This record gives sequence, structure tokens and C-alpha cells, in this order.
Amino acid sequence: MESRIAEHPILGVPEKGKKVTFTYNDTQVEGYEGEPIAAALKAAGLMVHRYTKKEHKPRGIFCAIGRCTDCVMVVDGKPNIRTCVTPLKEGMKVQTQYGVSDKPFAEQ
Amino acid sequence: MKRYDLIIVGAGPSGLSAAIEAARRGLNVVVFDENEKPGGQLFKQIHKFFGSKEHKAKIRGFVIGEQLLKEADEAGVEVVLNATVIGLYQDKEVVVRIGEAVHHYKGDAVIIATGASENMVTFDGWTLPGVIGAGAAQTMMNLHGVKPGNKVLMLGSGNVGLVVSFQLLQCGCEVVALVDAAPKVGGYGVHAAKVARTGVPFYLSHTIVKAEGEECVTGVTIAEVDSHFQFIPGTEKHFDVDTICLAVGLSPMSQLLKMAGCEMEDNPKRGGQVPICDEYGRTSLPGVFVAGDVSGIEEASSAMIEGRMAGIVAAEYLGYMEKEELDSNLVDLDKALDGLRQGMFAPKNRGKDIETTDEGIPVSKNLLKHGFVADDEIERFPGVTHAKGIHPVMECTQNIPCNPCQDACPKHCIRIGSNITALPAVEEGSECVGCGMCVASCSGQAIFLVDETYEEGYASITIPYEFLPLPEVGAKGNALGRDGKKVCDAEVISVKSIPAFDKTNLLTMKVPTEYAMKARFYKEA
Repeated sequence: MESRIAEHPILGVPEKGKKVTFTYNDTQVEGYEGEPIAAALKAAGLMVHRYTKKEHKPRGIFCAIGRCTDCVMVVDGKPNIRTCVTPLKEGMKVQTQYGVSDKPFAEQ
Repeated sequence: MKRYDLIIVGAGPSGLSAAIEAARRGLNVVVFDENEKPGGQLFKQIHKFFGSKEHKAKIRGFVIGEQLLKEADEAGVEVVLNATVIGLYQDKEVVVRIGEAVHHYKGDAVIIATGASENMVTFDGWTLPGVIGAGAAQTMMNLHGVKPGNKVLMLGSGNVGLVVSFQLLQCGCEVVALVDAAPKVGGYGVHAAKVARTGVPFYLSHTIVKAEGEECVTGVTIAEVDSHFQFIPGTEKHFDVDTICLAVGLSPMSQLLKMAGCEMEDNPKRGGQVPICDEYGRTSLPGVFVAGDVSGIEEASSAMIEGRMAGIVAAEYLGYMEKEELDSNLVDLDKALDGLRQGMFAPKNRGKDIETTDEGIPVSKNLLKHGFVADDEIERFPGVTHAKGIHPVMECTQNIPCNPCQDACPKHCIRIGSNITALPAVEEGSECVGCGMCVASCSGQAIFLVDETYEEGYASITIPYEFLPLPEVGAKGNALGRDGKKVCDAEVISVKSIPAFDKTNLLTMKVPTEYAMKARFYKEA
């Protein structure tokens, strides 16, 4: 089901930046420039942002305002980036974070 | 170290209001905010606000946010964004992280307006992706235009849970249930009623047993709890959902104050750890003031007034005005804040069992238990009357500080009086012309126009309608009752959307006369 709101009864048609492409692990995903990375991932139906270090449990968006750090990912090679408050840019490399690494636990 | 007359932490409703008042009185003011944009949570508030004219009632939150930013700009307030205040030290040294650098500033006065953060509850599976805060849902749908989920279960029946549930419906999500461990709906009855009439079931005295799913939420199980909040075996209910939304209260973000050495207290009525302060936000540290949710959880409307107070008090502290001027400046603000703190939901009434309204009418038990006033309860409230021809029916049954309906009617059909928490009543002898201004002005969406003699055998009912797609005239569908269940067939006979209604469309449907006092929502068949 489409998760972008095409038209809102109060807010009208959402204002968005230009359409950009970024990579999520090895796949190409589209989003809008300037929106949080997390919003673009959510719109694409991608829920898991990271796996915890000790128990390898999945985590995703939780507070969406930069407080809880549940949604951190490896962005352009840098771990622990809060995707809910980091604006999306063309060509960004967004990777699932395993513990604090972009490498799955089996490879660590 | 750069010096300012006044440093404000937080560019939300209270911080901006404080900055505006202080800057207007000549103070050199800076506001630091960790976010990319100013306005705090106001830009996520898309409902019309409660209160009176001076509280900007019936204006939507994000519009109030725009007005506040314009005012701040005109007053010459400097707002520094993406700037996280990480320390407040002796002599009002404020330490701010901007980008990768840490900066030190000195304020002759400091106002902490950091607001609040959401509370959480834990249950099996609560860390799964798909379990989100209600604030996250608002952020995703109202700021970024992305639906938080398709099928959502809401935990929490306070105003946040109720308002966000309605907003989820507005953006096209299905809300499968509204759940609260408490035995009674916590928020305004009118907020509950507008959710319930769309068909969302309320489960009071219930809470979440577990969130299901491996990689993300695929379902949820709730169960009833007893008076000690223990699960009652055999009462489990399962829902297929992809999202669980938590709206279980807010806590003041008062850490900076504690760090600075302010005297603090743990006060459940104010939401947790709060600074000890006077009515204008003066803390135990001279020159350190507080405003908004950080000093006690309330609404954005009261936060804005508290902010203005703190800004003025800080100006007087620094000698920008005399004591007499301060006192005269505070008179109107005192009155405005006092007006908001009246009624059943006033801070002083938190936790109390209220059995009757100020008018002596027994409150609706069904509203508290199921989110809507039962058919056999509604007629005892003064806004609900019968008349020949078209007339307003005001299903406003709790004393809350709100009165836009009184001013909205050009024919003065609606009377609240000087006490803004009084229940609206129909003015005897007045003549309703059916303009619908009252329907659109009611922040609680609790006013309907009813014409029980519309046509032989049929009544017309006009309801506020804030959903898309807008049904067309001639459409045939179902009239739903206050409980969200079908009561009869209905035909849409008019849909009005004029700028004065501010996005609250007025949908008029025709139903058999016997359902005139029952049908309160329209749904396509």
C-alpha cells in the first residue's frame, strides 16, 4: 500500500524537495531531497534500521525527532547517524548498522 | 565568550513567546534549538486549538506556529537552529554544540523552555520496528507526508492519543483500536467522540500483552486488566497491525535545570521532575527562568502564555522595565492563563473523580468508558435541544476552557457566558439560519445542525467532515451513530467548503426522522 500521503484534508499536497536516488545497502531507493532519511525509508516500506550489538535485535524508527537513537544507521560510511533528523541527499549511501558496524555479525 | 542579555533554550511555543516579549523590550536575545526548524511541536498540530480568542482558539496549531515565527522575526529575535544546549553552568554559562564544535555563551538571564519528552511503556516486543511514539506518528504524517502505518493500534487515551488517532484517520490509516490501561478516557470527551463515531473501538482497562513479529510488528495482543493493572486471563484480544503507537504521557525535559543546581521536586501533577518555581517561572537560581512543559505538562496554549510571562519577568530582572510596568503587563496574561486552567481537566483536578458538570448534570459514564455519549445520556446536556426547523445541537458535555462557538454564531444562538468552561446552551428565542459557522468553529467537532422537519419523514444533519475524499452530493451511504456503528441509510444532500470554515467541510446528509438524534457520521457504503 502506498505510504506517501498524496493529498491531506488539512495540509493539502505535501511540499517536497526534488526526487533523489540513494542506496539502501545494495538497492537503489528513491526519496525526496531534504526529508529525513528515515522518512524516505519508511515510505519505501523499509522498517529495520539496525540490529543491536549484544542480542542482534532489530530496531527502527521510534521517536522520529532525534532523541531515542533507535533509528541510527551507517550513512556514507559513518555509523550512529540519526536517520530521523538527517536530511536526505542525492547519492547517499545508507547501510543497516550491525552493532556499530556496517558488516553483518557473521562477518565481524 | 559571547554575551547576551537573555539566552533561551528551546524555540517551541514557550521559548519563542518569551523571546518575542523580551526582544520587544530591548533585550539582546538569542534562542538555541536542537532542531532543524523552529516551532517545536506546533507544526505537527493540525487540529483547531481550544480556548478563547486570546488563546488563539479555533486556529490550527501549525498556523499559530507560522504566526509566532513571523512575530519573532519582526521583534528581531535571533534563532540558532541545529544547536544543542549540552550544559548550563554557574553564572549562567550556556554550552552549545553546533555541528562538531562546542561553543560557550554567557547569558545575564536564561530561560529554559525545553519542553517535554514522551513516556514509554514496555511489553514483550516493544522494541520491534513498528512500535513508535505518538509524536513520531505526527512527525511522519504531518511534517513529512508519510503514513506511519496502514493498520495502527493506539495505546493511550489522553489528548495526545485521541488527537493523533484522529490525525491517523485523516491521513488514511486504519486505527483498529484505542487502548488504555486506565478505566476512563483521559483526554477531552469531544476528542474521543470524534474518533469513536468513525468506528474506532475503545478498550479501556486494557493494555498490551505483546507486540508480535520477528523483524517488525505484524500483530498485537491486548488484554483486560483488573483494578491493580494485572492481566485478567482469558480476556486476550488479537489484532493484525503493522504499527503500534504509544501515547502514554509526557515528562518535562528538566535535566539542564537540575545540572545548573535549581531546586527540583518530583511532582506527579506536573508530570515528573520539575524545577520549583513561582507562577511566572522564576526558579531558585536568580536570573534562571522556566516556561512551558519543562515546568509542568500542559497544552501549547498555556505554554505560549507562560513564555510571554517569563520573557517579561526576565526583562524586569535585567532592569529593562520597572516593577509597576511588569505588574501591569502581567494582568492580562494572568487572566488568560487562569482561563485555560479551569474546568474538569484543570491541573488542580488531575486524578479527581468528577461526577457532575459545573451545571450539576451527571457526566456521561459511557463517554469515559467507550469514548462516546450514549443515546440515553445525550439529551440531558444543555446544548442538545429539539426545535422546529434547522438548529444547532451541541454535544459538548464536559467543562473545558473553550468558547469559539459563542462568537461564531452571527445570530447569537449559542450562549456560554463569561465563564469559558460552561457548557454551551441554545439561546431561547434565537433564530438559527443554518450558516454552519458554529459547526466549523468547534475545535471539538461536537456541533451539528439538525433539521428534524427537513422533508416529510426525513431529517437533515450537518456534520463537520475533515477527511478525503469528500463525498459528493447525491452519494448514498451509511449514517453512523456516536458509537461508529451503522444506524441507517443516508444520502448526502450538501457539501460546503468555504475559506471561513478553514478546512472543516460541512457535510449534510438526509436520514429518516427517527434517526435525527442518533446519526452523527457519514461513511460511504
